[in-house]
Amino acid sequence: MTSAGTTTAERLSVRGVDLEVVRRGSGPPLLLLHGPQNVDPNAPFLDLLGRHASILAPSHPGFGHSPRPPDFDTVYDLVHLYLDVLDGLAPAKVTLVGLSFGGWLAAEVAVACADRLDRLVLVDALGIKVSDRETPDILDVFNTAPAEVQRRSWHDPARCAPDVNAMTDEQIVVHARNWESLCLYGWHPYMYNPQLRRWLRRIAVPTLVLWGASDDIVSPAYGRAYSDAIPGSRFALIEQAGHYPEVEQPQATAQRIAAFLGR
Amino acid sequence: MDAWFHNENTYPFVPQGVLDRADSVRASLPNRYCDPKIAADLFEETLDEFLLCDDVGMNVVAIEHHAGINSLFGANPLILGILARQTRKARILSLGTLISLRPDPVRIAEEYATADVISRGRLEIGFVKSGGSEMASNNANPVTNIARYWEAIDLIKKALTQQDGPFSWEGKHFTHRHVNIWPRPWQAPHPRMWAATGDPETASEVGRRGMVNVLVLRGAEGTRRAWSAYRSARAEAGLPPVGSDRFGYAALLYVGDTHEEGVRIGEKLLWFLNTSLKSAPQYSKFLPGSVPPAFAPQVYRTAPTPAPAGVDNGSARPKGDAPVPSATQNVGTLIGITAEQAMARGILFAGSPDTVYEQIMKFRADVGGFDHLIMVGRSGFLTHAEAEKGIKLFAKEVLPRLQEVPSVAALES
Repeated sequence: MTSAGTTTAERLSVRGVDLEVVRRGSGPPLLLLHGPQNVDPNAPFLDLLGRHASILAPSHPGFGHSPRPPDFDTVYDLVHLYLDVLDGLAPAKVTLVGLSFGGWLAAEVAVACADRLDRLVLVDALGIKVSDRETPDILDVFNTAPAEVQRRSWHDPARCAPDVNAMTDEQIVVHARNWESLCLYGWHPYMYNPQLRRWLRRIAVPTLVLWGASDDIVSPAYGRAYSDAIPGSRFALIEQAGHYPEVEQPQATAQRIAAFLGR
Repeated sequence: MDAWFHNENTYPFVPQGVLDRADSVRASLPNRYCDPKIAADLFEETLDEFLLCDDVGMNVVAIEHHAGINSLFGANPLILGILARQTRKARILSLGTLISLRPDPVRIAEEYATADVISRGRLEIGFVKSGGSEMASNNANPVTNIARYWEAIDLIKKALTQQDGPFSWEGKHFTHRHVNIWPRPWQAPHPRMWAATGDPETASEVGRRGMVNVLVLRGAEGTRRAWSAYRSARAEAGLPPVGSDRFGYAALLYVGDTHEEGVRIGEKLLWFLNTSLKSAPQYSKFLPGSVPPAFAPQVYRTAPTPAPAGVDNGSARPKGDAPVPSATQNVGTLIGITAEQAMARGILFAGSPDTVYEQIMKFRADVGGFDHLIMVGRSGFLTHAEAEKGIKLFAKEVLPRLQEVPSVAALES
């Protein structure tokens, strides 16, 4: 999703951690964990998915307008924060949807407490190591030319790649916060937990792994390997979408998720 | 005032067409363009220049940069080891092992202590914060760079000074449970410490610690700003004022027989600014952590701010001064500079012995005094023979005059 440029989002305090959150729709609870950019309240995907679920979409600490507490700087911190969020939603079982970097967090949360979830959806998720030691699975977005990163992020970069010159100052500030925080959390090992793949077998809830067919940040083959490591999970491609199917093909992505939720 | 010779050991022999096509001449330029036979000749010449400095009464500086045409000194401790053994009188400033890139500061303390002992106490330890292309080349998280920098300095200092057996370090960024280096350094309590920075926030901490603050190619305004921050931070912390012995300045410098010759040859040093700094945006302005997010709009945009009706684009613009550019950003602004501009800004001192002396003294007066002048005396296509001539002329005709310049004593504010 493109960066959120509003300050009007709601706040949520989670055991002392202050989060900016977007709420949308009605129905059973759905926790949406964003990727490199925090959730845009104006994204069509939110309204489309909100027809089938009551969405809670926080900005991770350091992203959007969520402050980052001192010494809160690892994926371990984020995972435990979202375990706290699930505690707050209990006793309801929650549908957990994770996008890209947020997919990594969702997979970690699901490994830790699958009993709190009724469904898991991973969309172009990061977080595991698949290939050999000399083959990076995930494009190094920090050490690659920005134009190349954009080219590989989208099925149709001309239509979808963000244009920094068209953003407001506030949007650029948020964009830069997101970029810095992504680097802080994900720099090393680069965007994965070496131990996660082994533990994905603990995920005992119905799982859908969705992947942009044109994703060149992390390939559909990686997505299939992710799905193969989660017992009983389904894998599906979203055509004409890159790393952000929820932005490039919001209708198809929301439909796929809704169908998986049986709604 | 004392004088230090510094040669980055640049590698200018990559075809210009290759450099023009590359998006960066650092970090990502394939090393097939570095011929090891040419590199060996460059190391030999550079080390010979350092030995000449030892003979003529100058000190020497060994720097470290990674993976680019701007320097072949990727492994500072190896150069220190050679200098510690082969020089006899010169003080040797390491400026320095890039500590925030290395995972184990204790190993760095061992390297420094070893060089100090081999040189029988002629080592000076300088700390540098690293640039974006170096973080990429060394897998070092740029967002936590400064925090690692200070913690590494703390650990290195403790490893150099603790003499009572093993101690344990469980810090935020470094853990080392059993620290007890042998040998301990020759100098007690430890070699003098320097830090190269022009950013006032870092200079303030350098001031509180009383380290020597060296400014590299910053010009008078940036230099005054950093040293003012250094002095203010000490005063605010209730620490005693310091004299000019805590300040150093590094400039491109060449002395010829005549003013015309000095400028003509000294101009070649600008290769360092005009050719060796080309760095891709992912290693510079888009490197996470390099710009505070509040200032990203000024840095990220490549076109003027849009102003659609009803939207106040200025609403989020931060108040106050823009951040001081990082070292990488600072030198980036110098790309394309002419000799005349560089001389006017105190980035290049060049000419005859008399005119170079005048330029140094004018700059020194402009910034309020410093005791350590670092002469960047060779770069790019300036030849070994030219460098040696410049060193000899400087040492014979300029250095004796500089050595007569008294320190500025600490002034009570």
